[in-house]
Amino acid sequence: MKAASLSYAAAASATDAVRMLSSPEAKVIAGGQSLGPILNLRLARPSGLVDVSRAADLRAVTETPDAVHYGAAVTHAEMEDGVVPDATPGWMQTVARRIAYRAVRNRGTIGGSLAHADPAADWVNALTALDASVVLTRSDAERTVKLEQFFTGPFATVLAADEIIARVIVPRRTLQARWAYWKFCRKTGEFAKASAAVLLDPARNQTRILLGAIERPPVLLPDAEAIMTGSITPARAVACAAPELDAASAAMHAAALTRALAMVAA
Amino acid sequence: MTRIHLRINGREQSGDAEPRTHLADFLREEMNLTGTHLGCEHGVCGACTILIDGRPARSCITMTAACQDADIRTIEGYLDDPVMAALRASFKKHHALQCGFCTPGMLATAFDIVTRLPDADEARIREELAGNLCRCTGYAGIVAAIKAVLSEGVPAPAIRPIKRVALAASAEASPAIATSSAPPTGAVEPTASLEGGVTLSRNVAIAVSADHLWRELKDIQRVAAALPGAAIDTVTPDGHVKGSFTVAIGPMRASFGGNAHVIYDDASRSGLVRGSGGDRLSRSMAAGEVRFAVTPAGAGHAMLAAEIVYRLSGPLAQFGRGAVVADIVDRLLQQFTANIATLAQGGAVSEKPQGGFGLFAAAILSMLRRLLRRGQRRDQR
Repeated sequence: MKAASLSYAAAASATDAVRMLSSPEAKVIAGGQSLGPILNLRLARPSGLVDVSRAADLRAVTETPDAVHYGAAVTHAEMEDGVVPDATPGWMQTVARRIAYRAVRNRGTIGGSLAHADPAADWVNALTALDASVVLTRSDAERTVKLEQFFTGPFATVLAADEIIARVIVPRRTLQARWAYWKFCRKTGEFAKASAAVLLDPARNQTRILLGAIERPPVLLPDAEAIMTGSITPARAVACAAPELDAASAAMHAAALTRALAMVAA
Repeated sequence: MTRIHLRINGREQSGDAEPRTHLADFLREEMNLTGTHLGCEHGVCGACTILIDGRPARSCITMTAACQDADIRTIEGYLDDPVMAALRASFKKHHALQCGFCTPGMLATAFDIVTRLPDADEARIREELAGNLCRCTGYAGIVAAIKAVLSEGVPAPAIRPIKRVALAASAEASPAIATSSAPPTGAVEPTASLEGGVTLSRNVAIAVSADHLWRELKDIQRVAAALPGAAIDTVTPDGHVKGSFTVAIGPMRASFGGNAHVIYDDASRSGLVRGSGGDRLSRSMAAGEVRFAVTPAGAGHAMLAAEIVYRLSGPLAQFGRGAVVADIVDRLLQQFTANIATLAQGGAVSEKPQGGFGLFAAAILSMLRRLLRRGQRRDQR
């Protein structure tokens, strides 16, 4: 239950971190709330850790008229406490407050959660539904990737070995927009067994319905309008989007979707 | 060793820690502060919860090196805080502890609840306590103790959250990170049962004749080349293979070493690979079976059907979720059939293991492992 021997270096900036990642066996660590257990169990044995949790530019938040750019090392607790601005009318704050436990939220980061890409993680699902993007940086280039293209599988993303998440861009939403995020957890703070999110934003002409915690990247349901009007039932939508789910899991996801839809309609 | 400086329970202290040392071990082993308890040591039980910069955190999954210059409060440092004094008295009065193992963590979390959430009701208290496990009390006493402190008025705390991580700590010289040598291959030889295993299948049509595809499949080295992460050490003429299979799921990595047996039936153009192996480092084992069959599909095409049954056990299986493994294995199977198609049509496949394949996959793969990769396959081709 002790990590295997490794080296450790703290990065002062994103550039610094990318430089230190020159070895393919090195691994970025931010809050370490997912990587920590994996290291202790020795399921991962990186030769070294590059700690980005104190990198100044990764802890900066900038606001534009259209979006908020969160440094990747902003913690869940900082979002929960309103220390950083919320791009939405309080929705992100509510999502943050239900992530794991306070002791975890105090160290876990928004960028770390996305890079880890646990299919059941809150930010993975909620931020995809909110049409967020990530800015990825490496030594010679920067690129912006929408989250729906960022995840390639469970615990897998498009991140290259020498690339890190610098910022998360979340489009602003006004009170005219409606939002619901619903998850089932067997125990408070546990990873979700099923989750669903609904975003209705008439100002941006967006209707996004997401099915999450399906052990692969979340899916944005086609025919969102038809699901909203009820001509496609939640059970049918789940069966089409995730036919691999067993009956119990499909029922849980259909219920999560039903509840999210009810919240948006309320 | 890294020199670590911390302010522990109000005193400036320094000590040496290996980069891998988590904060709980540093406090217990180097600072002799054994009041911080280690239960699960992977962030689940909450026993090791302490206050870092005045906020609760799990010390077992916090790297010591990441806490340079932080303010640390452990159970040994709560004596002069009025809130902690009120909580201690209330825990005693409401029988909020029995064996005491969880109590240091419970107090840290209780401190956070009463100072951060002065209006918390019982439901909120229970929600906030969800990350701290107690096996004695049934929680009723703990909840009652916290409720009582809240209703009787919370004294002004002496311990307060301090400003969060400063924005730019001056950059220290960062040592270059060395590349580690290849992990040793395990030599576990379990005879795991496939009962209760997971079955996945894939069919793919390939634009070559059935005979051609079958010849392709009979070359074990070629088959291994099609499986990302597989490496073959030895193959006997009767199809006994020794080898390894390496998979990575996110940061997790496992290398399953073991034996497999490959059986071909020319008459039906079908075959079977059965194998099992273990990853010594993660103490996980995998067993599995791959069945494959080739059938003509008309007009110079052949259909390759592949089915995989696998079973994973040990910490890897415990840590992962079944469906994640299944998805990874399915992607692997997909890659495998696609690579076979490419090879059969005279193409070349990349040797690079797929980034998205999990350890779990490893399990599965372990069976396949016999077929698998490893640098030497490259040489042999």
